[in-house]
Amino acid sequence: MTSVSRIEPDLGFIQDLQNVGGLDLNKCYQCATCSVICPISPMDKPFPRKEMIWAQWGLKDKVVQDVDIWLCHKCGQCTETCPRGANPGELMAALRNVAYQSLAGPRFLGRWMSSAKHLPKLIAIPAVIFLIVWLITGSIYGTPFPTPHGEIEFGHIFPGDFSIDPIFGLAALFVLYTFYRGISTMAQTFKEQPRTFVVGFHRPQSIWVSLWQVIKEEVITHKKWRDCGTEEPEEAKFKGHILLFYSFVALFIVTGIVAFTHWSGKVVGFLDMPYPMALWNPVKILANLGAIGLVVGLVYLTKRRLNAAQRDGSSFYDWYLLATIWVVTLTGILSEIFRLLHVAGLSYIVYYLHLISVFMLIAYLPWSKLGHLVYRVVALAHARRLGRVSTEISTEQKNQLYVL
Amino acid sequence: MSQSILVIGGGFSGITAALEAAEIGEEVFLVEKSPYLGGRVMQLNKYFPKLCPPSCGLEIQYQRIKNNKNLQVFTLAEVVSVSGDVGNYEVTVKLRPRHTPPSSVDLSGLAQSLSQDVENEFELGLCKRKPLYMSAPFAYPYRYVLDTANLTEEDRTKLSKSGQIDLNQQEKTITLQVGSIVVATGWKPYDASNLTNLGAGRIANCISNMQMERLAAPSGPTEGKILRPSDHEAPKRVAFVQCAGSRDENHLSYCSYICCMASLKQARYLREQYPESRVDIYYIDLRTPGRYDHFAQETLADENIQAIKGKVAEVEEDVASGAVWLTAEDAISGRKLRNSYDMVVLATGMQPNLAQETLPLKLSADEEGFVYESDNAGIFPAGCAVEPLDVMKSAQSGTAAAMKAIQTVRGR
Repeated sequence: MTSVSRIEPDLGFIQDLQNVGGLDLNKCYQCATCSVICPISPMDKPFPRKEMIWAQWGLKDKVVQDVDIWLCHKCGQCTETCPRGANPGELMAALRNVAYQSLAGPRFLGRWMSSAKHLPKLIAIPAVIFLIVWLITGSIYGTPFPTPHGEIEFGHIFPGDFSIDPIFGLAALFVLYTFYRGISTMAQTFKEQPRTFVVGFHRPQSIWVSLWQVIKEEVITHKKWRDCGTEEPEEAKFKGHILLFYSFVALFIVTGIVAFTHWSGKVVGFLDMPYPMALWNPVKILANLGAIGLVVGLVYLTKRRLNAAQRDGSSFYDWYLLATIWVVTLTGILSEIFRLLHVAGLSYIVYYLHLISVFMLIAYLPWSKLGHLVYRVVALAHARRLGRVSTEISTEQKNQLYVL
Repeated sequence: MSQSILVIGGGFSGITAALEAAEIGEEVFLVEKSPYLGGRVMQLNKYFPKLCPPSCGLEIQYQRIKNNKNLQVFTLAEVVSVSGDVGNYEVTVKLRPRHTPPSSVDLSGLAQSLSQDVENEFELGLCKRKPLYMSAPFAYPYRYVLDTANLTEEDRTKLSKSGQIDLNQQEKTITLQVGSIVVATGWKPYDASNLTNLGAGRIANCISNMQMERLAAPSGPTEGKILRPSDHEAPKRVAFVQCAGSRDENHLSYCSYICCMASLKQARYLREQYPESRVDIYYIDLRTPGRYDHFAQETLADENIQAIKGKVAEVEEDVASGAVWLTAEDAISGRKLRNSYDMVVLATGMQPNLAQETLPLKLSADEEGFVYESDNAGIFPAGCAVEPLDVMKSAQSGTAAAMKAIQTVRGR
């Protein structure tokens, strides 16, 4: 006796997908060229053909449980060879965008982060917060551009102890909590997936081993990324991404040192460093190298995206992240230059813009494309555990049955 | 006002149009570019709907042509210019020389004595021919043709001494006065070498469906034994790759209508010749229009013929064994398949000849090169110049165009 199950398409979901990049998904006629062309798609249940039909049918449940959307690095080969111009690569990106929106609340933030029309609100939040701080400090000094010892010091108008650190500290906590919620949602959906029987040579690896492999092969070395191809424009994307990644690592280290020396300096006096740091200070050198790395990486990525835009288009998610990092980088560099040139007014204004953009990068992180930082790592670790990412097979061959 | 009709293209629809008009009493000129009539149907082993060999339908047509005084056939002929308007067209036709006598003399001995071997275009590159050759089996006109571009000096002396060949024949131009024109310029197989991921032209045992027809045809290079090109072994496992360039906006954006049926038919050729052979047909949608569906069902009832839903997107060659590896996703089971075959047939589609050539005529074409008639020009396209068709529908289309042409020259 066969039971007939009725497909309940979620029309709103199809609409949402089309709004965030999956505009052409209805053109797909399921020829499966994409699944074969993809250099990293596994043999069993390959992507993105199945995602195309799930999306067409509005099967949101299927798609949100799908770990495969995070395996794709969007090299665009499927989009290029698609006989219908259905842009499967774009659809995979759109599915990730929907995931950023829906993995964790608050819902309104996810919605705001999905389209350019909400951008003014997203800018207004940090703009108002930091303007209030500036109004208070400015009225204390009696000028919006104070230079008490003849030196420009951003700490005068945006004091670390009372404004920067608490605001960003809270934002960071908020982001961490959101990721915790997001990962819980992901883990729950993974659990709901059907079990897989594995007749294999080796015991399926633990999630921690998988996670370590991801960090080693996908994050630190970006090695796995090379499986997607090493020709242009994939090469430009690779270079841009790895440069940007390590520049952010450098700047994260700088921020860490600054925060540590500052707060521990309050207890152990000699640890405290004088600000602004001198240009020869190794920490400052690292910071400036990070800034240069960001510019070079951004040039690679922007150039590629401008080319890619002609071929397969980019969504608001792509441009939001790229533009925000550009603003963070340029305002950071310019505020330093204006400070060194003693242009008080300009340097304070640019620094204010810098704070707004940094806030937009960090506080909204889980709902932006940068959320892949966490979600992709988690999903890739799970995918490795499932065997959906090819891993080196151990030479010791024991045929056994495992249940995942 | 001229009462004559010009038919451009001597394939199945062109012949049909010309005969229909001529048999009703109109004066008809049939202009064909190649040395023989019959077009693409001549190259088939068997054709739909009844799976007849081409001689079955075409020999009757050739008889009708021969017996009709109203119909004049020009082979090796091309329309170079057309002036005037509906009812009064002046058409200039260039006639290339054939260099052989106007009788059905058997020149095979002479042909064999020539030194050069040239790619045989009728056999789609599967074998060579001599520069003096019979352009097709049971060709109409049944005359040898000489291609002077591939002759050495010794060959030339040999030929001029033979007394049969006129090397001095020159190209001629004639002018025809016609009232209406039928355009039946037909199609050519899509150039599979554009399909870089499918290995055509690169992998020896990856052939096109038209080449398969020649391999299966008793008049073909292997006398009808289907043998794979690399080592002339009988293929035991064969795959058909449907939509090789069709329904693909990077190649031909439309469905070529008959390739699914062609592959099913060719699967039967294989199964009839080799009872232990196995055939897989990789498709996007198996399109078996109208009564062809019955044929498809009958064919697929053979358990050694399997249809797999999934387009082949990767083809690799195992150089040592000559095997061809295909990768496709079976969209029904959701598993990627990587299978090896002795030979692979690409079901390439039809591209209208007018996609890459133009006629000096008032004709409108869509972006794929299919033509449609302009208002009140008295010019009527027919057959696969209009859309991909099977032989039966090409004939219908030819008749329809002939009716319109007759109405144009006679008035209603």
